[in-house]
Amino acid sequence: MRTKSFVVAVAIFVVFIIGLVGVSFAGKLQQQMTEESTLEQALRRGVLRVGMSTFVPWAMKDKTGTLIGFEIDVATRLAKDMGVKVEFVPTKWAGIIPALLTGKFDVIIGGMGILPRRNLKLNFSMPYDYSGMSIVANRELAAGFKGLEDFNRPDVVLSVRLGATPVDAAKKHMPRAQLRMFDDESQAVQEVINGKAHAMVSSAPLPAFQALKYPERLFLPIKGTFTKEPIGFAVRKGDFDTLNFFNNWIVFVTAEGWLKERKHYWFETNEWESRIR
Amino acid sequence: MKQRKTRITPLDIIVAAALLAAGAYVAYRITVGLHYKWNWSAIPQYLFRYDQESDSWLPNVLIYGLLTTIKLSMWGTVLATIIGVVMGLCRASKSLFKRLIGRTYVELIRNLPPLVLIFIFYFFLGDQIMSLLGVSRFIESCSMSTSSVLAFLFAPPSLFAPFMAALITLALFEGAYITEIVRAGIQSTERGQWEASYALGLSRRQLMRYIILPQAMPRILPPLAGQFISTIKDSAIVSVISIQELTFQGMELMSATYLTFEVWITITGLYLMLTLSLSLIVERFEIYMRRSEA
Repeated sequence: MRTKSFVVAVAIFVVFIIGLVGVSFAGKLQQQMTEESTLEQALRRGVLRVGMSTFVPWAMKDKTGTLIGFEIDVATRLAKDMGVKVEFVPTKWAGIIPALLTGKFDVIIGGMGILPRRNLKLNFSMPYDYSGMSIVANRELAAGFKGLEDFNRPDVVLSVRLGATPVDAAKKHMPRAQLRMFDDESQAVQEVINGKAHAMVSSAPLPAFQALKYPERLFLPIKGTFTKEPIGFAVRKGDFDTLNFFNNWIVFVTAEGWLKERKHYWFETNEWESRIR
Repeated sequence: MKQRKTRITPLDIIVAAALLAAGAYVAYRITVGLHYKWNWSAIPQYLFRYDQESDSWLPNVLIYGLLTTIKLSMWGTVLATIIGVVMGLCRASKSLFKRLIGRTYVELIRNLPPLVLIFIFYFFLGDQIMSLLGVSRFIESCSMSTSSVLAFLFAPPSLFAPFMAALITLALFEGAYITEIVRAGIQSTERGQWEASYALGLSRRQLMRYIILPQAMPRILPPLAGQFISTIKDSAIVSVISIQELTFQGMELMSATYLTFEVWITITGLYLMLTLSLSLIVERFEIYMRRSEA
């Protein structure tokens, strides 16, 4: 009898010790996670490294070689509110996710659409902006095309930027059309202007700007956008402190009306056009 | 040799006319068939811009890109030459182990597309090596003056780590070709020279230093100089890992301004300026070598 209670006592003691170790370990882990979060690291470094890719009017270089654009404003304000300097890391769009995962920068603020497939690899903040796909077509090749269904034919060629949401949008809405993918938007547009592709699918407002620039070659077959995508900051997985900060920062600047005002400046006016050419 | 008179034959005229016609046709297609709005006046400002604040002309993105390309190819060449000479000596060594190392290196690098090599190196090996060397810690702890010297010689602090990764990749890649040039130079030295040296009782080191290398040098140098030009051209590959060299800056500029053709043509001109002038120097150098040999 006595040995039995002794065994029970020992068992309880062992469980208690394990629990204690567990609790202290969890505490330590929490502390470690806080310290290792991107946010803390950026604060310690005094620099927030932002990955972005040139994409008019989200991010581009002006005449003096300085970066300007909607995303640039957002990232600059974010860093200012954190009390750190901002450092932009221009990265090719196709390699931007691996670059984030391998720690070349802290966060992607580059008009990245929140897609479930992407979200499996990255964490996204809540959306700070919504973007949509729109389409610009060649006047000769796509003459008389009025809706998406006109483009959904095997003899139609669509040009898109590689590795981006337009690819998904084009495949979803025009599955029968052929896709031709390019590294840059400018090459994709040129393909349509040259009459080698019927139309280009891209995030608004780019197609509209191109149609304005080449009125005799290009036109907008459908008004406005045909998709709506949430845009968020992308960070590495497992970093909830950073995510929490970003989310609340977005709530804060939205409430202030600042985001809306910036969006208006970059997307609804073309006052900035004279700054890049 | 008998001096031959340069005469223009009817065939020459036909060929020249055909080439001219082809050129004119391409030009016509570009102007008429391409529906492209040329805007050359926008380009010069991306080379140099006038800064009102400081009242002076400053280099802009394309020139910065060109400077990065020059830095990258210069240091890449230096590093690749070191790697190439060491590995080349390994390849020509008597020790099986050294030969294996040299062979593995050369075969591995030469049989991989440079693009694949760059991605692998940048995303996987680059990080490990960089953190092992403590590059970013070193950069952060640098004083202002040191970092400005480093910025002048290599890249500004924020771009230093990727620049180094690109530099090492480029050097490893070019190094493989230089290895083969060095090996070929060493092994092309006549058998008799080796045998004579052994007969004289020279050690391997003495043999290399006094007999083989002095004779191999004139054979190595011309192809080596050619490889330097290749390094400049190959440096464009690192634009895929977002090193801000000429090609990358040009592509960024294109996505911002949509001046696709103007920018590509400008970039072509800038690259040609670099490589053609180097080609001329190499040519002069080869003539000089031939004369000093005779």
